[in-house]
Amino acid sequence: MHTEPSSTTHDTHATEATHAHIHPAPEGFVRKYVFSLDHKVIGFQYFFTGMLIMLIAGAFAILMRTQLTSPTGAIMDHNTYNEMFTMHGTAMVWLVTIPLVTGAIGNFVMPLQIGARDVAFPWLNMISFWIFPVAAVILFSSMLFGGPHAGWTEYPPISLADGTAGALWCAAIFTIGISSTLTGMNFMTTIIKMRAPGMTWTRMPLFVWATFATALMNMFATVALSVATGALFLEHVFKIPWYDPSRGGSPVLFEHMFWFYSHPAVYIFIIPAFGIVSEILPVFARKPIFGYKMIAFSSMAISLLAFTVWAHHMFPSGLAPWLQLPFMILTYAIGIPTGIKMFSWIATLWGGRIHFTSPMLYAMGFLITFSFGGITGIFLASVPVDLHLHGTYFVVGHFHYVVAGGTFMGFLASIPFWYPKATGRMLDERLSLLGFWLFFIGLNGTFFPMHWLGIEGMPRRYASYTAFAAQNPDAVFWNRFETAFAFFMAASIALLVFNLIWSLKHGKIAGINPWGARTLEWTISSPPPYYNFKEIPIVSGGPYDFEKPLPYKNTDNEIEEFPEYGKVLMPTPVLAGSGA
Amino acid sequence: MAQRIARAPNIVRVQGLGPGFWPATTLLLLLCIANSLYWLFGNIDWLLPSSSQPFSDRVYDIDGLFKFMAVFGGDIMIIVTGYVIYFCIAFRARASDPPDTVGVPIHDQPKLEFWWTVLPTILLVILTALSINVWHKIQFGVTSPGLTMEVVGHQFYFEYRYPGLKGTTTEAHLPIGVPVRILITSADVIHQWWVPELRLKMAAVPGLVQNLNFTPLRAGNFIVTCSEFCGVNHSQMQGKVVIEPVAAFNTWLDAQKTAAAAASIPIKLSGGNVAAGQAKFHQICSACHHDPPTPFDQKLVGPGLLHITDDPQHPTLVTGKPPTPQNIAWILQNGFTGSIGTMPNRQANGLSAQDIANLVAYLTSLK
Repeated sequence: MHTEPSSTTHDTHATEATHAHIHPAPEGFVRKYVFSLDHKVIGFQYFFTGMLIMLIAGAFAILMRTQLTSPTGAIMDHNTYNEMFTMHGTAMVWLVTIPLVTGAIGNFVMPLQIGARDVAFPWLNMISFWIFPVAAVILFSSMLFGGPHAGWTEYPPISLADGTAGALWCAAIFTIGISSTLTGMNFMTTIIKMRAPGMTWTRMPLFVWATFATALMNMFATVALSVATGALFLEHVFKIPWYDPSRGGSPVLFEHMFWFYSHPAVYIFIIPAFGIVSEILPVFARKPIFGYKMIAFSSMAISLLAFTVWAHHMFPSGLAPWLQLPFMILTYAIGIPTGIKMFSWIATLWGGRIHFTSPMLYAMGFLITFSFGGITGIFLASVPVDLHLHGTYFVVGHFHYVVAGGTFMGFLASIPFWYPKATGRMLDERLSLLGFWLFFIGLNGTFFPMHWLGIEGMPRRYASYTAFAAQNPDAVFWNRFETAFAFFMAASIALLVFNLIWSLKHGKIAGINPWGARTLEWTISSPPPYYNFKEIPIVSGGPYDFEKPLPYKNTDNEIEEFPEYGKVLMPTPVLAGSGA
Repeated sequence: MAQRIARAPNIVRVQGLGPGFWPATTLLLLLCIANSLYWLFGNIDWLLPSSSQPFSDRVYDIDGLFKFMAVFGGDIMIIVTGYVIYFCIAFRARASDPPDTVGVPIHDQPKLEFWWTVLPTILLVILTALSINVWHKIQFGVTSPGLTMEVVGHQFYFEYRYPGLKGTTTEAHLPIGVPVRILITSADVIHQWWVPELRLKMAAVPGLVQNLNFTPLRAGNFIVTCSEFCGVNHSQMQGKVVIEPVAAFNTWLDAQKTAAAAASIPIKLSGGNVAAGQAKFHQICSACHHDPPTPFDQKLVGPGLLHITDDPQHPTLVTGKPPTPQNIAWILQNGFTGSIGTMPNRQANGLSAQDIANLVAYLTSLK
């Protein structure tokens, strides 16, 4: 597969040559499932590893919420609590969110959607994946050395007190950063060079656009993180005083470098979710996505603007006053492309024929929760208001609406949507619907009250809040309320894990195209053969014109093998039954 | 393949903007008006502490901006959520639909897209103008402060310094009506000094001095809380801030000055008792200095003190000053941090003025 001459695939002559160029399937367990070069298997590997770590980091969150049911702290000492929120944040950001949306969904879906047989550099893809569990082991091994305590941001100088555990944290983040950079390069090359003939830039599915924008940020932003954590590692191990102010270092320097990556990282989380939602909404509204070009270009605009707003995380932390202004204004500006996307998605619903399937409910839940997270972001972008809200539970509420209500909601939408393509069977729809409502209610119940607790004066990263509870007697009630709803989210995830396993054997047979969707992955069998496309399809139009015939040629082989291909334009019983 | 192309889908027709569009839109607009009126005229003290009766001049500006954002942020949320729900109802698939029913095949609507780009842009330009105005006021509003207070963050307390006050306090007092400049730094790690009721927050960064400017308006007691993670007891790092009338403030500051003066000068050097000093040395100092005293280089934690007044190798004290009784007493009084390490001060060692006199007598008697 790796010998495919990617530089010439746009050339018809070369394309003909590659059609006949299908390598034999790998044999043996190790080549097939462990060190596989197949982007789909690598996607599964990211999925399993990411989900496993998500369960651990989620358990930490539940422990933290349980601790906060009492203002003095219910179940653990301060040190353990500090370790919990550090590990929860670190694992969720680098080892769950990015690997799941980019590593798992991006790897599995993107090459299928552009009609490619694999990514541009399959070996690099395999290496990128295998760096990830190594980084995870390094990170979790830090807990054996007392664990890091300074929060997922690990600001020095306080993080310098973490010793060996702090050094291991740096090593883990440095390592996973390399994986991100490599994946970014790989995906970018794949999308530029390996699109099926006729798939022009404006015929690309929106998830591919999103993956492209994400790859751009992964390539150019992650380097700053690697430098920042690399230097912090050297400071831990060799006492080189980059950041320690008592020896001439600058702690603010670390914050700049950290956020130069970690603000784009927020968009690295969310833009793939934008792509997922842009795929799902037209399929279940049975109509074209509204404003295709605006959605695609606003993804690119966001990914470029993302590099110019990092210091809005640092308004009180040592930024010259005049420097606060450009960062405030640029952050406001990022609201414009985001708003355009939101309005376009809502307009997609207008005049549709909406089927309330589980992916669609998750996608519509995303519209509401992500909007809220985006709007609270405007509050934090404003320097004067941020000088009240910085470092409070308002911030915690805001970014959980963005990450859990945005990215993770998008990820959860993608699971029932692409599970049939990945496994050949449908997820149990009733369990998925129940899971959605548990998650949606749990999410709002957990994170909504955090906003007013923060505005009233509750700082984040507090293992106990006796002083705040003494001033605000209802704080205890709201914290218990949040904890109760956190268990709803935990139940939803437990249900999802059960559903994923149970449906592997007992799910309905999916067929090629259970949703009546029109992107290329729905023109091949479920699960796809290891080479994806027997013949590379030829594309003659965009993927969202539900009223027109499919804009693909050269898919006849699959049609012979799977006579039910004619159902592509017809909603299957799964879809029709969920209407009414 | 023929079958695939031959099937003509059943395209939904929509009358106007859809069934019930205008009633739904009217309802949403009414909700938006209600939301706007609530934020503009309602009492939101439950949310923003003491918003209607501010203790600090910043509250007017910051809360005003907050309310403006809550108005349009809330309105946008109502519109987004409202239309998602309305479209779900109005454009739901029906069981009676033929199996290949598709929605209205529109791809875009340039006019609509123009307005939903331009209107939020205008809104954000207005917000930018308002924000810059408030930003300028709170950053540069105080040009000639009547009082400059310094805050130093420590694990896990804030320490305050006032002009003319030798020594520090652990409580901040501020006078009503006097423009205040607060200079903030840290002695160890990054902290954040936050008084929610006053809308005052600034990070205490070691090696960097930042400032906050404001004018206190009414008397009150507040909790200052650390809002940047600073270590194991971060959540216990609270202190007290008192705003009081100028007269009360001056009384308090004078009392602090008197107390500091009392604490900083050794009451006496005469009347020291060598035997009592030796007993104290045995009880307290022997934790870090060899007892009986040894030559300088035989260190326990601190150096040996046998030749403190007559060591040719070390003619001065660790402070670099000659070993006079006065200078020895200064170390006992204030403690000292040098290349060898840190010696705690009088309070930490629990020494009275008499103890210092006794210890000086004992130490100077050693040969």
